[in-house]
This record gives sequence, C-alpha cells and structure tokens, in this order.
Amino acid sequence: MVPTLLVYCIFIILPIAIAVRYSFTKYTGIGEAKPVGLKNYIRLFQDDVFWVSLKNTMITFVLAFALLLTISFLIALLLNKKLKGVDFSKALIFSPAIIAPIIVGIIWVYILDPNIGIINNVLDAVGASGLKHKWIGGDKLSPYSIAIIYFWQQLGYLVTIFIAGLKMIPEDVLEAVKIDGASPLQEIRYVIIPMMRTTISTVAVLIITGVFKIFEIVQQTTGGGPNHLSETLVTYSYSMTFASSDYGYGMSLATVTFILSLLITAVYSAITKEEKGGKRSRFSHISQRNARGQKQAGDTLEEREG
Amino acid sequence: MVKSRKKAGQYFLMVLITFLVVLPFLWMLVLSFKTNSEILSTPLALPKTFNFDNYKHAMETLNFPQLYGNTLFVCVISLISELIITFLSSFVLARMEFENEGIRKLLYGFLIIGLSISPFILLFPVYKINVFFKLRGKLALLFPYIATSISFNTLLFVGYLKSLPAEIDEAAVIDGCSIWDLMVRVVLPMTKPVIATVVIFNVLYIWNEFPFASVMLRDVTDYTLSMGASFFKGTYTVDYGGIVASSVMIIIPELIFYGLFQKNIVEGMTAGAVKG
Repeated sequence: MVPTLLVYCIFIILPIAIAVRYSFTKYTGIGEAKPVGLKNYIRLFQDDVFWVSLKNTMITFVLAFALLLTISFLIALLLNKKLKGVDFSKALIFSPAIIAPIIVGIIWVYILDPNIGIINNVLDAVGASGLKHKWIGGDKLSPYSIAIIYFWQQLGYLVTIFIAGLKMIPEDVLEAVKIDGASPLQEIRYVIIPMMRTTISTVAVLIITGVFKIFEIVQQTTGGGPNHLSETLVTYSYSMTFASSDYGYGMSLATVTFILSLLITAVYSAITKEEKGGKRSRFSHISQRNARGQKQAGDTLEEREG
Repeated sequence: MVKSRKKAGQYFLMVLITFLVVLPFLWMLVLSFKTNSEILSTPLALPKTFNFDNYKHAMETLNFPQLYGNTLFVCVISLISELIITFLSSFVLARMEFENEGIRKLLYGFLIIGLSISPFILLFPVYKINVFFKLRGKLALLFPYIATSISFNTLLFVGYLKSLPAEIDEAAVIDGCSIWDLMVRVVLPMTKPVIATVVIFNVLYIWNEFPFASVMLRDVTDYTLSMGASFFKGTYTVDYGGIVASSVMIIIPELIFYGLFQKNIVEGMTAGAVKG
C-alpha cells in the first residue's frame, strides 16, 4: 500500500499543487519564481490566443462529439448483426486506436496537406478545384480537420464499447419487441437507446476527456500554426511552457484547461443524472402512449380496410 | 427477396466502412515506395518502381534498434514495478479488513481520482520533480508512467479481487497459509486474466506515449519510438518519403502485436471504460 500511495502522491497529486503554485508566479526557468498573484490569470483573459485556442478546442469538441456519438452507435448496430467477416471488419476498424497518436498525425498530413495531400489532389483530378481548401495549416479549417482525424482514431474503440453495451441487452427483450411489431426505428428509439443509457454516457465522458487530451495530432499536422491560429488549449499551454519558457503562464493555462475539462464532465454527468430520474418516467409514459397509438393506428387501418 | 437485399446492403456498408477506415494505412504503404519528387509532383500516382530507398534512408537516420531498446527498457521496468505495487495495494484495499470502512473507501476514491487528471498539467511539475531527484533521460520516464497507471490498475484489480469469494481466504488461512502465501500462491494465479488486461493496456500506453517523452528526453540516444517518429519532422522538413517509411516501420510491429493479441487488446482497452 505504501509504495503505491507514495508514487501516486509524489507524481500525480504533488505535481498538481506545484502546477497551481507556479500559475501564480513568473518563472523563466532561470533563478527563482517570482510570485505575481493573479497576473497570469488576468493576462489569460486578455490573451487573444487563449480565446482562439478555447474556440478551436470547442469546435473540435462539438464536432467530434456529435460525429462519434451518432456514427459509432450506428456502426455498432450494423456490426452487431450476424454477418460473415464481421469480426475481421471490427478488428480493422479498431486498429487506428492502437497506433501512436503521433503517427496518426503523420498519416493525416499526407491526406489533408493542401499541396501533397490526397484530398486536394483528388479534387483537382476530378475537376473540382473550386472545392479545394487549406484543410490544415490555413486560418479556419484546422480544428474541424482535427475533429475528423480524432474521429478516425477513436471510431473503432467506441464502436467496440457500444457493441459490448448492445450485447448486454437481453435477447428476449428484443424478441418481445419484435413480436409486438415494432419497426427497427422504434426498436432503437424506445428500447435500445434507453437500455444503453449507461454505455452512452460512458462513451460521452470518454469523448469529452479525450478531446481535452488531443495533442500529438495537432502538433504533427499544424504545430498550432500559422501564427497560433490552430492552437488548442493543450498545445498552447505546452508551447507557452516548453517553447517560450514562460512557465508561470503555461501553468495557469494548464490549470484552466484542467478545470474546464473537469467542469464539462461534471456538467454532463449532472445533466444525464437529472434526465435519468425524469426520463425514466417520461419514457414509460411515452411507451405506453406509443403502444396505445399503435393500437389506434391499427384499428383505424382495419376500419378503413373494412 | 427484400431480406436478401437488406443483407446485401449491410454487407456493402460493412465493407465500405472498413475500407474507408483502412484507407489511410494503405496510402502510407503506397507512399513509402515513392520517391520524394514523386510525392511532390504526382501525389496521386502509384509508385513507378518499388524502391526501398525511403526505408534505407529511414534506417540510416533513425537508430531503430536503439529506439526499440529504449522503449522496451522503459516499458518492462515500469510494468514490473507498477504491477507489484498496484497488485499489493489493491489486495489490501479489496481483501483486508479495515478498522474503519471509511478509510478504505477514502483511499480507493483517492487513488481512482487520477483517472480524470489530464497528463498535460503534470508535465512541467513532474519534470521539476525529476530534476529534484536527479532522474534523467530514460529513467525520468519510469515514475510518471508508473504513477499514471495506478488509477487504472487499482480500478481493475480491486474490482476483480473483490469478486473472488471470501471463502478462499478463510480456507487458506485455516490451512495455515500466511498472508503472503495467500497473496502470492492463491490469489495471484487467480488474477491472471486481469493482469493480462493491465499489461496490454499499459504496454500500449507506454509504447505510444509522447507528451512525457518529449519533455523528459533531451538526448537522442534516449529516444523512445514515438520520439523517433517526431524526430524526422524537425531535421528533414521535406523528407516526406523518409517520414512515411519510418512511420510504417513503427506501425508494422504494433499491428503484428495487435494481430496476435487482438482479443486481449480490445478487451484490455475497453475493460476500463465498460467497468468504470
């Protein structure tokens, strides 16, 4: 017990305290750190690059969240079916998740690069040069591209978690639903999604915390440039700390980023918890009404036919 | 008829999605055989000849045996240490009697919090701590890697150890087993499946880890694989072929490892998520 606690305290807990302490100082790596009170935090609020990196992080977060949550769920539904070669397909889709993020970044440079990347060259080749963009390294699109790259990297991983969740739904429930004549859409809407609530929130939390850890991909594709325009919170705090040797300011950025990601996770779990209580009753209500509605629809249909 | 068409549609989707995901890998492989001027002037064309120049160049620039050696060194030592300490502490948390239940819960909660701590806030402070302890080069990576694994390992170990029936302990103690024997001879062998999960998860983490490595490693002779991958960008900004070839050489062993232990890897990487 003691060694674990010791290592944990010295290398996880203590560093956070150190980071917070440095965030109230000016320190260039030489000499002593000078305490400057809240100055770093005031500077942060007036720093355009901070707001740009916050905006970029948020763009990446929203896009990656929306894409990953829906598409990985849909692919999980598909790959949960009994198809030949489905295991092989799952294995291949999972593979981006195991390679080093730094290599993921390298790979995507060769796809998105405005000059040598596949996308712009394909657009040229099919005569759609008008659609060419600076996917990375321009002034606008980088955070969107980062979201796509992150999507590629995480897709198989999240699909696998969703499939594990799907497997936990008892067979007989699904059979009962089929016998009751629910359409596949109804089945997903009223049975599968409610029953997978915990899996869905697990995946959501994974995406939230994951987006705040994207680093290598940005570093490798744009390096935060040009002129800090594609910086994210993490890369900006890294470059302030280690490239500009502005350790105090870098640490205040790191602290803010850390608090922000905790906050979003907390808000998310608060929302879902509230919904859990409220929705369950609402759901049963809906399903009852739905059953009734179906019956009515069936009745009117019969009447009409009659 | 409708059914078979639906099936066909599903197969089509499955193959399409898989192909799209794998495409970037295939593209890397294609590029790695093209010369730099081919990559620049005819980016879409297939390589005219299969030339291995890029690979030769990558081998000359990067010292692959050293990169692999360093990574392996860091990996093995951190893994052994973390397995020993986290198994012991989890055993205490899961199976020993505490005078105060609250303390057990508190300790467990305290160790689990680490899961939500982003490594980026730790980089500079840990660097400072390493300087303080005079840990340099490869050695500077050991403690951060051990420390960041504690939360995950505790989560999995405690969860699993708790699920083992308490009668085992009682039986063993009645048979005259010391606590140490109980732990090493009885419980440890039963924990094999989780150990496999923990090992694989952490091997992948350490193998791919970049932020800590980029901060702690100054000397090229200490570089781990992920540092090697980034090395090309700084020195040869335009050697696209070299970068691709060295990336392929780093990926391929990973993919082979994945192919061999695919089931365990997928399980290991999703275990924390599904249980947590």
